[in-house]
Formats: sequence, structure tokens, C-alpha cells
Amino acid sequence: MKTQTKWSVALTTYSFRLLVIIAICLSFAPLLPGLGGLLLAAFGYIPAIGQHALSLTGLQQLWLWPGLGQSITLTLFIGVASTLLAALFSFSILQACWRRRGWQHIENLLAPVMALPHVAFAIGFAFLFIPSGFGARIITLLAEVLSGATPGISNWSLIKDKYGLGLVLALTLKEIPFVLFMSMAVLKQLNVEANLRVAQSLGYSRAQAWQKIIFPQWLTKIRFTLFAVMAYSLSVVDVALILGPTQPPPLAVLVWQWLNDADLSNLGKASTAGLLLLLLCITALLSLRLGEWLLTRKWRSWQISGRFALPIVGHSAITVTLLTSLAILPILTLWSLAQRWRFPDLLPSKWSLRFWQQEWAYLWEIIATSAIIALISATIALLLAIILHQHNAHSRYRVPRLLIALPMLTPQLSLLFGIQVASLYLASNYYLLVIWAHAFFALPYIFMALDGPWRSYDQRLDKVGLSLGLSPWRVWWQIKRPILMPAIWLAWAVGISVSLAQYLPTLMLGAGRISTLTTEAVALSSGQDRRVSAIYALLQSLLPFVFYLSAIIASRHCGALARRAPLFAKPLAAKDSVKR
Amino acid sequence: MRYNPSKLLPSINAVPGNHRKGTLMKKLCIALCSLLLATFTQAANLDWSKIEQQARGQTVYFYAWGGSQEINNYLRWADKRLTQQYGVHLKHVKVGDTAEAITRLAAEKTANKNSDGSVDMVWINGENFKSMKRYDLLSEAFATDLPNWQYVDKSLPVTTDFAEPTLGLEAPWGTGQLVFIYDKAHLANPPHSFAAMLDYAKAHPYKLSYPQPPSFHGTSFLKAALLELASDSKALYQPVDSQTFAAISAPLWHYLDQFHKVAWRQGKQFPASGAETIKLLDDGELDLAISFNPNEATSAQLQGKLSDSTAVYAMQAGALSNIHFLAIPWNASAKEGALVAINFLLSPQAQSRKGDLAIWGDPTVLASQYISGSAKNTQLFNAIAEPHPSWQAALEAEWQRRYGH
Repeated sequence: MKTQTKWSVALTTYSFRLLVIIAICLSFAPLLPGLGGLLLAAFGYIPAIGQHALSLTGLQQLWLWPGLGQSITLTLFIGVASTLLAALFSFSILQACWRRRGWQHIENLLAPVMALPHVAFAIGFAFLFIPSGFGARIITLLAEVLSGATPGISNWSLIKDKYGLGLVLALTLKEIPFVLFMSMAVLKQLNVEANLRVAQSLGYSRAQAWQKIIFPQWLTKIRFTLFAVMAYSLSVVDVALILGPTQPPPLAVLVWQWLNDADLSNLGKASTAGLLLLLLCITALLSLRLGEWLLTRKWRSWQISGRFALPIVGHSAITVTLLTSLAILPILTLWSLAQRWRFPDLLPSKWSLRFWQQEWAYLWEIIATSAIIALISATIALLLAIILHQHNAHSRYRVPRLLIALPMLTPQLSLLFGIQVASLYLASNYYLLVIWAHAFFALPYIFMALDGPWRSYDQRLDKVGLSLGLSPWRVWWQIKRPILMPAIWLAWAVGISVSLAQYLPTLMLGAGRISTLTTEAVALSSGQDRRVSAIYALLQSLLPFVFYLSAIIASRHCGALARRAPLFAKPLAAKDSVKR
Repeated sequence: MRYNPSKLLPSINAVPGNHRKGTLMKKLCIALCSLLLATFTQAANLDWSKIEQQARGQTVYFYAWGGSQEINNYLRWADKRLTQQYGVHLKHVKVGDTAEAITRLAAEKTANKNSDGSVDMVWINGENFKSMKRYDLLSEAFATDLPNWQYVDKSLPVTTDFAEPTLGLEAPWGTGQLVFIYDKAHLANPPHSFAAMLDYAKAHPYKLSYPQPPSFHGTSFLKAALLELASDSKALYQPVDSQTFAAISAPLWHYLDQFHKVAWRQGKQFPASGAETIKLLDDGELDLAISFNPNEATSAQLQGKLSDSTAVYAMQAGALSNIHFLAIPWNASAKEGALVAINFLLSPQAQSRKGDLAIWGDPTVLASQYISGSAKNTQLFNAIAEPHPSWQAALEAEWQRRYGH
């Protein structure tokens, strides 16, 4: 009997280890051909155009390209500025609103705002802020009412401005909800209330306590989220095409343009630029880490010297963020119903349902494809993330978080050409490849979303379960899983929305066999027809929203392990992590 | 596919249908053209009924720009017809830029994937064609063997693509002319030359611009302007010579230096594409939009994109003209299906619908007697031929050096 148990335990352990190894292979295998392909092409090995010898032609072409220096400066500025602003505003929002009046509303609104895909956000943002946009129309109307004169259209535009200010603003506003969402788990671990009470009893004001005590702790724990924001801002293509500067464009856009140049001799230059982008990204992430180290370890005298506190703008920041994001949906709806809507009309002059009618028959298939791919890939990524978390929680040989985060931190563009070539040697089942790629890119986000809850889980519960004779599997299934279920549901929704937003992997690995709402939305946005773009942008936002909503509802219904198991009710209710 | 060049003539005459409509002269002309082409390209004689048989049940993945819903809807219609008539499914793969398909083919070439490729058919011209031809990404010649080749208007430059001989490697699909769109309610007399355009911009600052090169429309604008401004435009039809490039192109840069000062956003920003200029015209930000479709204004009005008072015109000297084509990659997996689809798209029925102003309005490549409906009314402007293709890259690079950063 005893040997049997031993055997089964050993079997469970080994099969679990096997699962971990499979998880690692599945999720990091694509990095190798991606990087390999990039390096080979960057150093001149491009068989497609008859280059078989290593050379530095690509580097030379890149070096001689006028405007390279400006493009690099611009890329760094956009990446750094939007990351720092997003972090700063997110923290001031937390400081001003965390668990105070109205916080519940903010928390409820975060999910729909986060569900808004970047492309849809960019399309809506552009229409709010271009010189003939909705903002300008309101100003024109006001000017007419007040002074009677109609002002002309401004010759300056925030969208696509030379210094990338519009892009920085848009990225900042889009990333704030993401940072806030990730901060919620962090703050729940930090035991903010106790910290504040102690600080206030020592005579620090609330603002000082937040900035001197909570901030350093928050900054360390939010590191990977900020890395993700930084990497995204540095390497984003679709949003930069809609909102970014053009003379010259940021580096990622240049890579995209050269990669898609009719003249294939530009492939070397494109790959070298892709490599440069990767290096820039690494440098920027290291600097961010250095900055964090300086602030929290090296020069931390600011934490103890005096009682200054910076003024906070949290309330205005959250208002602007939520208003901009929420204004986008009604505007997209209006556009999808407009036949004619000219400047400076506040509402369309002619309405029409024709665009919906035209698209209706084709929409269902596209929605179904998008949803099925997202569901499958997010579920796979979720399982892998749980396996990795379980492994890391119990094993001495942890899988490093940096490795798991790599697909999220590497510019997609740099990897995809290599992955595409490698994928051609593999099975030619395009759905399989696309699902794999989506799972690959969704995994780090899911892993991060689960990170906080996993850390705040009370390990003693496991020990109690085991000592009462439950098998490790049953401890997980009956105790840990139900407690963490709300977080798992939300992480699943995060994964789904990441999958739904994938453009490049779907297009490049799906070989055009697979159309999703995102590929359609991006293809249509090149035609500048706002009415049809609006339909796809709208649906592209609604679909993840539906999943977020389902996840929130599901998490509220399954979260109360306390309710089902009165034994655990008291000690658990005291923990922040299971409060809801 | 069987190769038998000697059988080319009978194969054309054997096609059922309209050849009685053509005059003897015309037939001779076609025969002569085909014969010439056949010797150039060693075109294959296609056993068409066998091809139609093999094509049945195939799905053709057609990589084409997906930015215009009118075009997308037209292709949806073509898919329905092809399915009904030939059992061929035409699946439009919407790309933001055709070059995406070429990068994909390059990846397949790298991986030595010489059959079962993912692209069956592409919509290309100019640079893209040149590139595909240069890197051997195209299938063998087929265009002149298509049964519907007989309807093609051979007086159009359908056998050269931006001065690059097509050798039957691609079949013509439509005609493009560089035209301008203006709003009659706002502008009575639009500038009919590039010189007049500069005067207009000086009088009405910040109201004119052009798409940023190297976008297709942007580079075309540069070429058209240089053709007018150069002291001797003949040089532009010769390959670019780095010795003389500076001298020949100098008037263009001098012109743009002045133009940008008074252009939209003072030349610090440019629209991304021709489509964006149309949006900006409708928004009132620009006074002139640029298009390659002489029917653009009418078709945009019907779609609600432009106001009814807009109209199209070309420069006094004429409109830069080119043809856009359909081609099949070397590793296409549904080659027969692609041939059937291209042949269908060249049919009088499909071309008449394509030219229909309410559908797409793209001018046909067929002789006008085969066309019916509103497509028949399309009037082409006086054509200016495309300069030698080497000018394209040279102008783009110089523009980038001067204004791109």
C-alpha cells in the first residue's frame, strides 16, 4: 500500500516535471528561430534574394539612411516618455483614489477600458484630436456661438506631429488602465492600510506616506508591467502608423516599411534595423531597471529627508483617461452609421445602415474565427502559466521570470521573419501555427496577471491540507484553485484580449488563411474610410469586452470559497487577496 | 500545363464566342501581337478545358490591397460568380500593402518551399512586379494564353509595366491615371499645371499637399511634376545616370523647396496615401486630392465619401498613366484556379462590373465594344507614359535625403 502511494507520488511529480518542460519548450522554442533568423538576415544571409555570404551591407545601408539618428532619438523619447508618464500618472491615481470614495467605479471601469484594443483606441483617438476631429468641431461650435465667426482649420495637428507628442499621449492614456490593473494585485499584497496607519501615527501626511513608503515597494513589484509598457511603446507599429510622426517615423515603423518594401534588397537593412530595435529595447529596459535601483536602493535619501510630497494630479488623470477611452466607443458607433459627416457638423448629416448591412453576412465568420482562436490560445497559455506558477512556487529550480517575460519584451517585428521562415518547415496547418503564436505572446501577460495573486496566496493553507492527508493534486484542486479562481478568470480574459489584438503573428503565420477582426481592421484602416473602419474597430472592442465581462461575472460567482467552506471563513476574510 | 508555343494561334481562334465581332484587321492585329509575344515569352498553350476541370474545387488565395470596401465588395461578387460558374473559390486576403505578399513569398523562397505556397494570385504593378520578376517569384508566362485575352485592348500599354516588359508573366486588370479631385463649390478653376499649383498654394497657403513618398501616389506626384518641370523630359525615359541626376532633377527640388513653405502643415507632414488626401479634401483640410482612378470622384460620391460637387481633372499636359496587373507566384498551390479566376476577371462581364461607377469605377483594360453599362462612359485623359523605373528609387532616395527627416 505504502509503496503504491510512493509510486503514484513519484509518478505525479515526474509527469508534472514533464509538463513544466513541455511548457517551457512550447513557449520559448519560437524565440530561437526568431532570433537566429534575425541575426542571419542582419548579417547578410538572405537566400531568397541570392545572398549566401555573410556581409555588413545591411548595416551599411542602414547607417547611410538619412534620418536614422532622428528616428532612434524619437523612438527612445516615445518609449521612455510614455512609460514614465504612465507610471507617474498611475501612481498618482492610486495615491488619490485607492480604496477611497469612487474607487469601486474606477475598478469597474478598468476592464472595459483595458478591453479597448490599441488599434481601435488609436482610430478613435485620432478622430478626437485631428484638426477636423470631434474636439475641433466642439471648439468651432463654441467659437461660432460666442463670437459669431467660424475659425479656419488649424494647420497644426497633435496627430502625427513631428515630435511624437500625440503618440506619447495616446500610449500613456492607453497604458494607464493596464498599469492600474496590475497595481491592484500589487497593492493588495502590500497591505497598504497598515503601512499608512503606521506612517500617519509617525506624523507623515497621507501623501507623504504614499510617496515615501508605498511608492518604493510598488515600483519594485510593478517592474515587469513597466517593462511590458516600455517594450510595447518602443516597438509598436500599428498605433504608430495611425498616430506617430512620419518624417522620419519611429524605428519600428521603419523596420515594418522596409520589411514590406517591394525592393527585396532592403531585407538586409530591415533586419539590421530589427536588430537595432532589439538592442534599443534591451538598453531601455536596463535603464529602467537602473532607474528603479537608483531610486529604491542607491539614492534613497529622499525617503527619509524631510517631509516634502509632490502635488498629486490623480483625480484629473483618471478622469482624462477614462473620458478619452469611453468617448471613443460612441464616436465609433456614430461613424459606423454615418453616410455623410463633414466638418464641422457635430452629428452626421446623412445616416445609413448600409455599411452594417454590407458587412453583416461576413461578420459572423470573422467574429467566430477571432473568438475561437482567442479562446483556445488563451486557455492553453493559461494552463501553461498555471503550471509554471505552480512549479515556481514549489521548486528550487525556478523558471526565471525574465525568460517567461521575453516574448512580451522582445519587439515582435524583430522575431517574426525568422519565425515565419521556420514555420514553413513545420506542419502547414495555419490554424495551429497561429494559435501557437497567440499562446506564445499571451503567456507572459497571463503569467503576470497571476503573479500577484499567486504570491499573496497563503502557503500555510497548502500545509494544512497536506497534513490533513489530501494529495497534492487535491490540495490544489480543492483549496488553492477555488481561492485563486477569480484571478484565474481575469487572467484568462487578459489572455483573450491579447490574442484578439494580435496583428502581425496572425497575418504572417496564418498566411492570409485566417482573418480576424484585427487583421480586417488594420487592412481597412489603410483605406481611410472611417465608416467601415469604425465597424471593425467597434467590434474589435466589443469582443474582448464581452470576455472581460464574463470573466468578472464568473469571478464574482466562484470567488467565495469562504462561503462554501465555513472552516476557512474567518482567517481568509482577513486577507486582502480574497476580499472579493 | 502543356507547353506548345506552335499551337498558340489556333488556341485563340478556338475560343468560342465573340470573335465574329472583330474585324479582319483586328484579328490580324491580335494574331500578330500574340505571335510576337509568343516568341518573346515562349508562352505555353493552355489546354483550357483541362485547366477548368482541374480548377474545380480549388480555393484561390488572392493577396490584394484591402483598404477599399468597394474593391472588397467587388471581389466578394467575383467569388460568388466563380463559385457558381467554375467551382473555384476566390478568397481575398486583405493586405495593407501588396508588398506584404512579396515578403511572404521571399520567406517561402528562403525555406525552399517550391510548391504548395500560400499565395495563389497577387495584384501588382511597378516596383512589386519588377521585384518579383527579378527574384524569380513568378510562375511561367500565361497572360496571352487566356481565352479572354482576345478582348484586351492592345492599344493600351498592356505588355509593359512601368517600362518593364511583362512577357506574359502578369495579366492586365485595370487602368490607372494620376488625377486630381477638387470641390467645384469651393474652387472654380483648379490649377492645371504644377506651376499653377505653386501659385495657388502661395495665394491660399496650407491647402495643398501630396502623399509622402515612397507611397505609390506620392512618388507618382514627384514623377509627374518632374516630367512637367524638367527642361528635357526625354531624359526621364532613359535609365537614371548618377552623373546627370542632380542636374535633371534640380527643377523639381527647387519647386518643392518653395511649395513646402506654403503646403499643408508647411511640408513638415504629408498625408500617408492617396486615400488620405480624399479624406482631407472632404474634411476641408486640403483643396485637392490625388487619385489613380479617373472615376474616383463619382464613385466616392455614391459611397458618401465626397460631396456631390466634387469633380476629377487631369493636368493640362495629361495624366501619368499605368496599368495594374494580376500575377501568379511560382509556388502557387492552386495555379489552375488562379488562371480561371484571372480569366474570369478579364471577362467582359467582370470588367463591366468593375468599371461600374456604383461598384468600383476602375477603368477597363478591354476594348470598349465589349463593355456595357456605366463603365462604357469612362473617359480616359490624355496619357503620359511612366518614366524609366530606375527614376522611381532615385527620386524617392533624394526626397528622403532632403525632406524626410
